[in-house]
Amino acid sequence: MSDTRAGMRAWWQQLAAIMLKEAKQVTRDPSSWIIAVVLPLTFLFLFGYGISLDTTVIRVAVVREDDGRDARALAAAFTDSKWFAVVAAHDRGSGERLLQDQLVKAVVIIPAEFGRRLDAENTTAQVQVLVDGAEPNTANYVHAYVNAIWNGFLGARGVERGSPRPVPVSLEARYWYNANAVSRWFLIPGSMTVIMTLLGTLLTSLVIAREHERGTLEALYATPLTRGQILIGKTLPYFLLAMVSMAVCVLTALLLFQLPLRGSFLTLGLVSAVFLVPALGQGLLISVTMRTQMAAAQLGLMTGYLPAMMLSGFLFDIRSMPPWLQVITLAIPARYMNVSLQTVFLAGDLWAVLVPNMLFMLAVGALFFGLTWRRLHKRVD
Amino acid sequence: MLQRLLAIVRKELITMLRDPRARGALILPPIIQLFIFSSAATMEVKNIALAIVDLDRGPYAADVEQRLSGSRSFTRLPRYANVAGARVALDREQVVGILVLPSGFSPDLAAGRPASAQLLLDGRRSNAAQITAQYVSDVLADEGAPLSGLSGASGPLSTATPGAGAPGTTSKPNAEVVIDNWFNPNLDYQWFMLPNLVGTLSLGVALMITALSVARERELGTFDQTLVSPATPVEIALGKLLPPLLVASVQATLYLLIVTLLYGVPFRGNLLVFYTAVLTFAEACAGVGLFISSLVRTQQQAFLGAFAVLLPFALLSGFATPIENMPWWLQFLTTINPLAHMLRLMQGLFLKGASVASLAPDLLRLLEIALCTTAAAVLLFRRKAA
Repeated sequence: MSDTRAGMRAWWQQLAAIMLKEAKQVTRDPSSWIIAVVLPLTFLFLFGYGISLDTTVIRVAVVREDDGRDARALAAAFTDSKWFAVVAAHDRGSGERLLQDQLVKAVVIIPAEFGRRLDAENTTAQVQVLVDGAEPNTANYVHAYVNAIWNGFLGARGVERGSPRPVPVSLEARYWYNANAVSRWFLIPGSMTVIMTLLGTLLTSLVIAREHERGTLEALYATPLTRGQILIGKTLPYFLLAMVSMAVCVLTALLLFQLPLRGSFLTLGLVSAVFLVPALGQGLLISVTMRTQMAAAQLGLMTGYLPAMMLSGFLFDIRSMPPWLQVITLAIPARYMNVSLQTVFLAGDLWAVLVPNMLFMLAVGALFFGLTWRRLHKRVD
Repeated sequence: MLQRLLAIVRKELITMLRDPRARGALILPPIIQLFIFSSAATMEVKNIALAIVDLDRGPYAADVEQRLSGSRSFTRLPRYANVAGARVALDREQVVGILVLPSGFSPDLAAGRPASAQLLLDGRRSNAAQITAQYVSDVLADEGAPLSGLSGASGPLSTATPGAGAPGTTSKPNAEVVIDNWFNPNLDYQWFMLPNLVGTLSLGVALMITALSVARERELGTFDQTLVSPATPVEIALGKLLPPLLVASVQATLYLLIVTLLYGVPFRGNLLVFYTAVLTFAEACAGVGLFISSLVRTQQQAFLGAFAVLLPFALLSGFATPIENMPWWLQFLTTINPLAHMLRLMQGLFLKGASVASLAPDLLRLLEIALCTTAAAVLLFRRKAA
């Protein structure tokens, strides 16, 4: 009985020793503080201001070849709209050149005889719009705006002539959780996931690879430490570091970006802690697999950071991806974290959403830690 | 001098390519990324699941539902008896929105009165939600269309006017807007993403290779040995800057082949301009990498340093979201970002077939940036080596 207790005590002491060693290694390095505080802040700042899907004013060229009243009214509708900044172009050729040189996103051509054709019964009045399709998202917005202006023009013209255009079905769209549909509100929780992945996975991916490369791993193996102690001791300091930077991120999001927090701080902390299990596990797994820091860093970047950025639903909606890719995203912890963070911030503590997502994260984490455990042989080869 | 420089380049190349795993790590991952990310990175919204709460139960509501299920964008349209039930599904992200067709929807339309429908959307996914709203409103606009001219005389299931997608045709059939998409006629998102990935992936490689190079030698203790060799610090620095150019051009060639042959994205520009752009860009990135590498002591720091510039470069380049959406002071910052210029060049070369003259400003800017970063890196390296 007392033996096991003494054993337990020794186990804890050993664990404390390796944790102290790792913690010293982390805190001694001034760059750790930069990593924990400065880096997350910079990134959040950049994400918050740099990434936006809310289109601003789009530059278009309007070429008016007809001098009639209708043509001038339509051109004025473009000039007056809040979506477009109109650049005058004298003829088709100069308009097309502006488009080619990427100075405008679209060219609207109101052809000669537009008004006459509009008035006549048997001719078709055509307005031609050339859109820069290279970037489809903006092109789609241009389409929608052009259509809206065109409908407005026809409607106004109809009213003038006493034949108003009926609008039989109107659609009232309401956005729950994000009434103004601000893209920043869903992008900032996603950015936090990316930052946490960066800290959790990338930093830990170097931990054991570094000892490998420096040849200190043998020294570590020679100690009486068990595999479990090595794993916990190596992970916990990074866990704390990541939690500190998460707190910094949350404060910035709430104070600077005015994000609402509709759930509780406690839930937020719980979700973050749960996410760190797979994030750290993945880093450690990479670390025991790769022999050099360079290789570990690259693998960490590729399997941790980039998927968190591209495949987690942060920027690109998962449900729009091809099915095979959707299956791959199931193994990406960041995916569950994104949903959870978006929910806690914007919707509240919806346990029906949070619990399954946290369970998934824990499952992926258990897998990573299990594999790490198996790979971490205490022997030199 | 040239001989010593070549010797250093050779040594760097050997260090880089000696290990088969390292060799693989240079070529394979970027290509896998190209495949995966070009499929993932789409702003189109497909496979939409939209909940329907039909309180009307009339023929017009049924018609709306039928039109929605006929659209390619909607794959699932689960029906719920009331909004509360649908809301649970929305909370769990099983649907992106709820379309409520109120009672009186059909009677109103049949009587020629304006009717309204409600769409409740998940603001947590505001982008997908906004696009969904656009799709639904298109469908509803069509719904009224056949009836507006006929004042409900014909049944609601009559087909929409041909070309109902082109608005205006309903009230005044002799006027229309013809929209022509230049450069990318089908608005294929992959056509946009692939040229961007060519630029962004080469940024990562060039930066990482150089950023870790000096730090690695410092950590392994071989840095001092290099310094006591007859090569001067400037030669050593240049020797570290050249191999990434080689790797970048090999990779760029692979990307070019994959993007054009496999994905069918047109390459309409000048090949010479393409390679000039790739080399200049790689040099600009390698300069940044070497600068970081000279500044730090360990590989971990180098890695983080590289990362700390990689991310802003990628974010402020127009890679994911348009530069025009940024505030003016960030737009200003993008002018010193090599990737922003590189992406404009890639778009111009692949999709737009832009003339050399119209690409020249970006190319020149890239050259300036490359000169600055290289000079800064070599100077810092020399100071640190002394």
